[in-house]
This record gives sequence, C-alpha cells and structure tokens, in this order.
Amino acid sequence: MRQPKIIIVGGGLAGLMATIRVAELGVPVDLFSIVPVKRSHSVCAQGGINAAKNLKGEGDSPWKHFDDTIYGGDFLANQSLVKSMCEAAPAIIDLLDRMGVMFNRTPEGLLDFRRFGGTLYHRTAFAGATTGQQLLYALDEQVRRHESIDRVKKFEGWTFLSAVLDDSGVARGICAMNLRTTEVQTFPADAVIFCTGGIGAIFGRSTNSVVCTGSAQSALFQQGAWYANGEFIQVHPTAIPGEDKCRLMSESARGEGGRVWVPKKPGDTRPAKDIPQNERFYFLEEWYPKYGNLVPRDVATRAIHKIVFEMKMGLPGGPAVYLDVSHIPREVLNRKLEGILEIYEKFVGPDPREEPMKVFPAMHYTMGGLWVDNEQQATNIPGIHAAGECEYQYHGANRLGANSLVSCIYGGMIAGPAAVRYARNLEKGCDSIPAGVFERERVRQQDITDGLLHQQGNENPITIWRELGEVMTENVTVIRYNANIKKTLGKLAELSERYKKINLQDRTQWSNQTLNFTRELGNMLVLAQVIALGALERNETRGAHYKPEFPERDDANWLKTTIARYDLGKICLEYQPVDTSLIPPRERKYTAAS
Amino acid sequence: MASAVGVTRTSFFLDKLQSLSGIVPIGAYLAEHFFENSYALVSPDKYNYIASKLETVPWRIPLEFLLIWLPILFHGCYGLYIWWNGKANAIGHPWMTNWLYVLQRWTGIIVFAFIGYHVWTVRFLSHGKTTYADIAHAMANPWIVAIYAIGILAASFHLGNGLWNFSCKWGFAVTPESQRAAGWFGACVAIVFAVIGLAIIAGFRFHWTPFDTYL
Amino acid sequence: MPDKTVIVRIKRRQRPDEPARWEEFELRYRPHMNVITCLRDIAERPVTRDGRESSPASYEANCLEEVCGACAMLINGEPRQACSALVDNLEQPICLEPLSKFPLVRDLVVDRSKMFEDLKRTHCWIPIDGTYDLGEGPRMSPATQETGYPLARCMSCGNCLEICPKVNEHTQFVGAAIISQVRLFNMHPTGKLHSAERLEALMGPGGIQDCDNSQNCVKVCPKGIPLTESIAAMNGQVIRHALKTWFTGHD
Repeated sequence: MRQPKIIIVGGGLAGLMATIRVAELGVPVDLFSIVPVKRSHSVCAQGGINAAKNLKGEGDSPWKHFDDTIYGGDFLANQSLVKSMCEAAPAIIDLLDRMGVMFNRTPEGLLDFRRFGGTLYHRTAFAGATTGQQLLYALDEQVRRHESIDRVKKFEGWTFLSAVLDDSGVARGICAMNLRTTEVQTFPADAVIFCTGGIGAIFGRSTNSVVCTGSAQSALFQQGAWYANGEFIQVHPTAIPGEDKCRLMSESARGEGGRVWVPKKPGDTRPAKDIPQNERFYFLEEWYPKYGNLVPRDVATRAIHKIVFEMKMGLPGGPAVYLDVSHIPREVLNRKLEGILEIYEKFVGPDPREEPMKVFPAMHYTMGGLWVDNEQQATNIPGIHAAGECEYQYHGANRLGANSLVSCIYGGMIAGPAAVRYARNLEKGCDSIPAGVFERERVRQQDITDGLLHQQGNENPITIWRELGEVMTENVTVIRYNANIKKTLGKLAELSERYKKINLQDRTQWSNQTLNFTRELGNMLVLAQVIALGALERNETRGAHYKPEFPERDDANWLKTTIARYDLGKICLEYQPVDTSLIPPRERKYTAAS
Repeated sequence: MASAVGVTRTSFFLDKLQSLSGIVPIGAYLAEHFFENSYALVSPDKYNYIASKLETVPWRIPLEFLLIWLPILFHGCYGLYIWWNGKANAIGHPWMTNWLYVLQRWTGIIVFAFIGYHVWTVRFLSHGKTTYADIAHAMANPWIVAIYAIGILAASFHLGNGLWNFSCKWGFAVTPESQRAAGWFGACVAIVFAVIGLAIIAGFRFHWTPFDTYL
Repeated sequence: MPDKTVIVRIKRRQRPDEPARWEEFELRYRPHMNVITCLRDIAERPVTRDGRESSPASYEANCLEEVCGACAMLINGEPRQACSALVDNLEQPICLEPLSKFPLVRDLVVDRSKMFEDLKRTHCWIPIDGTYDLGEGPRMSPATQETGYPLARCMSCGNCLEICPKVNEHTQFVGAAIISQVRLFNMHPTGKLHSAERLEALMGPGGIQDCDNSQNCVKVCPKGIPLTESIAAMNGQVIRHALKTWFTGHD
C-alpha cells in the first residue's frame, strides 16, 4: 500500500495532537509552524481544561458538560460533535496526565478541579494558572519524541501562503515561505490539516499572540474554503489593557473565588482597600445570583460594558472594573493562580494579593472559523482538514471557559486519523500530480511577494493594521449597531485600497518581517470583512453577538450557521441549519439555574 | 532506548575528578601541611624534628608523587583547560557568585604558580631537606613574605570556595538553604586556613613561637 | 518631537556576516510602554534620530505576556524578555542587542534551535505507550506537583544560557534549562522509569559536568525557576547513577 503523506500547518495544541495521532499510525508528518511550536499561542491559555470526571462528588457527567456547552453557546454549536467531545474529555485529561502534565493535585494524589464560567460544577482541571502552556509542552515533548525517531519533520520558521489545488479542486499540498530566506516553495501532501488558531490581530490589541492573524484561514477562504459563523467573536471580560496587547486575567481568578466590583459611588477615588464592603457594588453577584461571578463570558462582558458605559460607574482613570482576589489566602493564590498574578505584577505593578486588579474586556477568541464537516473535520476543499480555534464546530455563539483546550485537543485527535483515512482512500496520491500544478501555485505566490517588494507608495502596514484593529474593536465586538458595521465595511474597503499603496521599508530578502506581516495583513483585511458582513446580516442577539436594536434571540430566523464563501473576489453569505437533535433550544438566562 | 548510551563520558569523569581532587587529596594534604608547619609556632627544634620525620617516611617519593604532585598537576592543568572553556562576565553582571567564579580561576592560577615556586625552592633546591633556619632565612626577605602571603590567601580562598563548589557539583547541597550553609562552611574553612597560614609565616619571620608554653 | 520621548539604541545586522552597527531612535512616550511597543513604533516609522531612513528591526515575539519565551534579547546588557521590559523601569537610552550565545539571524533575531535539539538529546519527555485510552495517570503527591510545576514552566527562552560563562563556542554545554527539564522528567512517576537514559545523556559531552557553579542562570530566569537547585539535584543523580552502574552494572 502506498504510504500517504500528511502535512499539518500550525503547532499549537490541535496541531500537535493531530501530529501525534498521525505519527502513531506510522504515517510521516511534515509539521509547519511560523514559530518554534513550543512558542505557539496555546501557551497563553491559563485557567484550565474541562472534563466531567466528577471527582468532587457533585454528580457531574459528560451529558451535563454537553448541556452546559450547548446552552452556553446559545444552541449554535454542532451538537453531536460536542457530545462526543464531552464524552471524550475525561479520557483526554487522563492522557494528558499520563504525558506528565503537572496538574494540581488533591491530598489523595488525584487531579484537582475548579469551577469555571457557565457551569455550577467543579469541572476544570488545571496546572497552576498556566494550564495551556503545560498542555502544549506535554504535546510538544511527545512530538519531539516522534521527531527523534523520524516520524515527524518540523518546518519551524515557515509561513503558510496557500494550498496547492489541482485542476479538479483537490488539495495536493501547500505553498509556504521560509521566513528566514523568504524562499517560496511548494510541498506535496495527500491531506493537509490546518490548526492555525485564532484571529486576534484583526482586532489590533487582543489577548492573542502576535502570530494569531487568521492569515492561513483567510488564504484558504480566498481559495474557496467556506468560513462559518465568523461574526461570533468572544470578548473576555477580564483583561489588562496594554499598549501592545491586552493581557488575559483568567476566569480561574473568579473560579477560585475572585469577585468583580466597582465602588457604589461613581468616581470614588479612595484606594480600593479603603472602600468598605457595603459601599462596593458586586454587580455580577447581584444581577446573576445563581452563577455570580461565573456567568459566561459574553454575559460578564456585557455587564461590565453596562456598568462602565451606560451606568458610568467605571473606575476613575479609564474604563475598568475591579477584579478582586485579595480576600483569598496568599498561600492558595500562590498555589493556584501564581502565573496570572505574576503577569499583573510584572506588567502593571501592584500586588494583586494585596489590592484588586483593574481589568476591562478584550477580544479573546473566535467561535467561528473554517467550515468543517462533523467528525471528519474536513473542509469543503477535498484534502483539507481543520482543527482547533481555526474551525467553527464546538462553541456555537459563545465559548465556555476551559472548553477551548479540550476542543483543540479533541479536534486534533479526530482530525489526524480522519486525514489519514482520506489519504489512504485516494485513488492517486500527490506524487502522481503533474509538477506544473505545484509550479503554477509557487509562481503565483512568488509574484505576490515580488509585487509587494517592488510596490511603491506611502502607506505603512503597521498604520493600516492599527486602524483596522481600532475600527473592528469599536464596532464589531461587544455591542453592534448596523450603522456602525456599515461604516466599518466602508473603512475596510478604504484600508484595502490603501493596502495597495503600502511601501515596504524593507526590501531585503533575508528575515524580512515586514514582508511577511504585510502579506498577513492583506489576508486579515479579507477576514475582517467576513466578520463584519456576518455581523451585519445577523439581526438578532445570540451569545457573544449582541445588537441592541435586536435584543432578543430569534430562533425562527437565525437558528442557523452563517457560511461565507468567496466568489470571484466577492464575499457571499449563505446559511445552514443547525443540528439541535439532542438538546432542543431553550431560553438562555443565567439569573437562575437552567 | 539506547541512543543516548555509548556517548563518551571522558569529560564527565575528568570534570568530577578535578572537583574531587581539589578536596581529596589536595585539600586534605593542605590541611596536613599547614598542621605540620604549625610546629614552627611551637619551637624551631620541634619543627626540625617533625620535618626530618616527614622527610624520612618510607616510600616517600612514590607517596609524594601519587598523593601530592600528580593530583596537583592534574587539578591545575585540567583547571586551566576548564578556565579556557569559560567566558567570564562578572564585570557586566557583578553578582557575588559570578565574582566567586572569576576569583576561583584567578586564585587557581596564582596558587598553581606559587606551588611551582614553593616546591622548586623548598623541595628540589634543598634536595628534600629543609630546616627551620632555611625558611626563617628566606622569610627575612619581605618579597618572599609577600609571595607566601599571597599564595596562602589564594590557596585558602580557592579551597574554601572549592568546598562550596564541590558540595554543589557532587549534589550534596541541593536546596538554596543547604547551598548557603555550604557557602558559609567554605568561608569558615578559608578564614581558618588563611589565619593559620599567615601565623606560620609570622612565626618564621619574627621567630614567633606562641605555643612554646606547651614545651 | 513631543515633550517626553524614549531613546532606543539597537545593534543591527541585516545578515549574520555583516559588521554590526548601532542605530538610535527617538519615540513618543506613552504610559505602560514596553520594549515591544518601541520596536513596533520603529517599524511604523523607521527613521533614526539623526533623520536617516532605515528599516524596521527584526525581532522575535509572540505571546507578549512572558509565557512563550520568544522575545529574549539583551536589554541594557541583561538577557530578558522584551515584553516584560517596561520602559518606565529602564535606563535610557535603552540598548537592545541580540543574544550573543546563539547564531545570529538578523538584528535581534537569533537561532535557538540548539535548545530544542538538546531537549531531544536528553529525552525530555514521558514515554507513553500511546494516545489511546489507558485509564488514569499515576497518582502524584501535591508535594511532587509543587516541586515539578515550577520546573515545567521553563519556556526555553535561553536567558540562562546567555548569562552562563560556560556556554560559548568552546563547549557544547546544554545549560541550566535542559538540566532542569531532566530533573522534571526524572521526578515524574512514569518518567522515573527511564531516568537512566536521560542521566547518560547528561553525562555526555556538553553535559552537566560543564557547569562551574557561577549561579548566574538562576538570577536571569524570568520564571524564577530554581535552576541551581535543579543542577545540584541532577549532579547528585548522575554521580549516584555513575557509581551504581559502575559497581553493580545497573542503576
């Protein structure tokens, strides 16, 4: 039997898990990543990973995890797959534990679990407050082990440019650029799995890492891949605003008992510690007595917006509210939350063990992503699969905290074998594709690069990127008005025009970061339009998508998946029904238990 | 999996031996040497008696060779190789332990040179027989006193700091607390050796015999 | 220029074989700026202080919250992460140089693949039988977890190698980070089963014996990992292993 060849693009949790699964099947993998995989964005995940192992005697079960996830996602997630994920989650935790993840322990030596948003159970396993980092490292180590026996070949420092499609539209490999030499090259493969993560850079300052541009998804979209539910963007309620990025203050701070509050008297300038309990407004606890500080993120974010912008009760000196863990014993904080408290101390200054942190919502995650087909994790382009944040299936209209890590790993787990199955069933492999197919894609990409290198003009890519981020954050995040979204689409058109006049101040061909960034920026501008268009069309409020003009969920018209397609340079939206076969939609409100 | 096995352990072996040889036999010999020489603080006769006793031990040459010269030669020469393998950066990063690293190298070469001089003059030029008067005569020269003082101070520091290094490099002191304790222990050893060594020089130079009351 | 500015000097080389040159930039000050913000400002307007058109400086960065390890560089001579280097806490002019112990790529970018190769050489992983469901992992005491977790936060930034006198072109020294990782895997209940192969690797050329106890590593570790403790602990392990295997033929 012909040995298939698999390429995986992206070395975060999903990509590494897929890599391991493919390598275990004895199939060689080429793993492409912009950064050394150990530096992938998954390291930023802090709070934990969900699995209903029910180790706290609360009667938790995978079905309850499933129900919380679907309800939390406002019924837009793919139910059958979410159910499979929740059923697989306990075994995933065990697997990670076997890989050596330093999860926090109970005195009995078992895994400890904490509470997270959108659930009433202790369901989140955690390794301090750097769980994503710990999981990524465990998978990175396993991949390194497979690499040491030549089952995996890493291409770190390469960026994906496009898929190589043959005349019948089947993917036969990828075209990538070496970030050091700027060499553009094609790589044949029978199947490609994309695990290219988030799109935070489209929003300028988000909680995402620098590499989370969505460039790969956008490039695929422009080659014909469908992009689903783009308008669902998660804004995390608690982050530290910064000049270069917004740094996440994990939900685990609230999971461990942290409380969100503002002074009852607007503009109260007393130091937080001097404000007595009865003069503090714990608005989440008051408004959502059942879930308190652990309401889902979309709910908490809107509450903070309401406090700050509508009720004008934000902290003096900038839009912010207090996230307070100073009442929790120091020893507990150091054992369970040190990672994030350290971030606050290093980047802001004061010790959060002593005084409350000042936080504000920031763009965090995209629920939408490449459209994929159920358990195959296959996109509409034959030969291309996707897993992790870059696809859309698991989180519907709003993701629950600590579900991303489990969805990435589960997605990677099933995408790997699915890609191998697909590749094994191919009638002819990539080796029998004429060289011309690869060459024409390489030339097309080389021409784009050369064009940018020679383009004259007076625009700067960073300036355009900053403006993109500002307009997207202002109009297409927490509160969305159709008039503003239309304005945003106008601005995006303007930026796309200006993009053509970008002058690369660096025209060298050695480690030219401006060139790569500008290529990514072009893709970001397209994906931004997908997000804005999806938001404009969806006239309802669902999960993270909130339109004051349409404040109710509208199942009759909008219980459906948005699918964006790219036709001859135009973005068209279509809609697909949502699978609600297992849990019928019900009203979503967190004021009382569901 | 045997891929890591079969790699050469030569440098591991030599490095650990270098560290160990500084303590045993060299450090131990230094203690013995300082102790024997302290008889100069009792009386010239006592010193001469002990010296001649040591000069007439059976198997003297092989013993000297195996327990003193060979270890010192190895410790010194391999130490020079280790030095060459390092790039000190204490000027830009003046933490105490970083200075100790630098000083360990400089005191090492000073002691190595001093031992060469010391052995040449006291062991070979004298054909292995040295009396109190010979040393006292040499110590009349302030330059020689200075050379000995520098040699003794350098050796004391090198041994004390070496003890601390040894406790870390052989994994005896693991926690920061035990490493700090080992550091203090090394410092005490260095001070004790420096005091005894300088006292011996003073004894020869000033015919100072504070312990003659024992007689 | 506005009232308050930030002066940044960058040691630049467009290619590894070029001679280095220094460029100085003057940037508009904003509160909470870090070195990354400075580098982005320069990329947006790469004009030196004396008005010469230059190009954006290449640098590595990713998470910007000190968990990915990418943005290590020399900042005013100290190896540290650029993201957590706040302008308010730095003396000006802020001097930026690439790490000097790794092959230079361009400007502030160096090639740290040596660290990942060394992790491979020392078998820094838990050899699981497979990813299929084999039930729960081994039990672990909270105390072991509390010792292991800080070690597991090592992000391979390379600062400890940069500051180590024994990491240079004369040696192949693996450095504190890798030694500490070996300690982590040798501590894990499953990892323990294979400690011998890691110890053997640590006794090879460039192994733990190259450490000469300058203890600089622990002072620059951005994650506060007890590196010197790890090195001493591993010294004990390799010596016990060497003696045991030599005398008894097995560990």
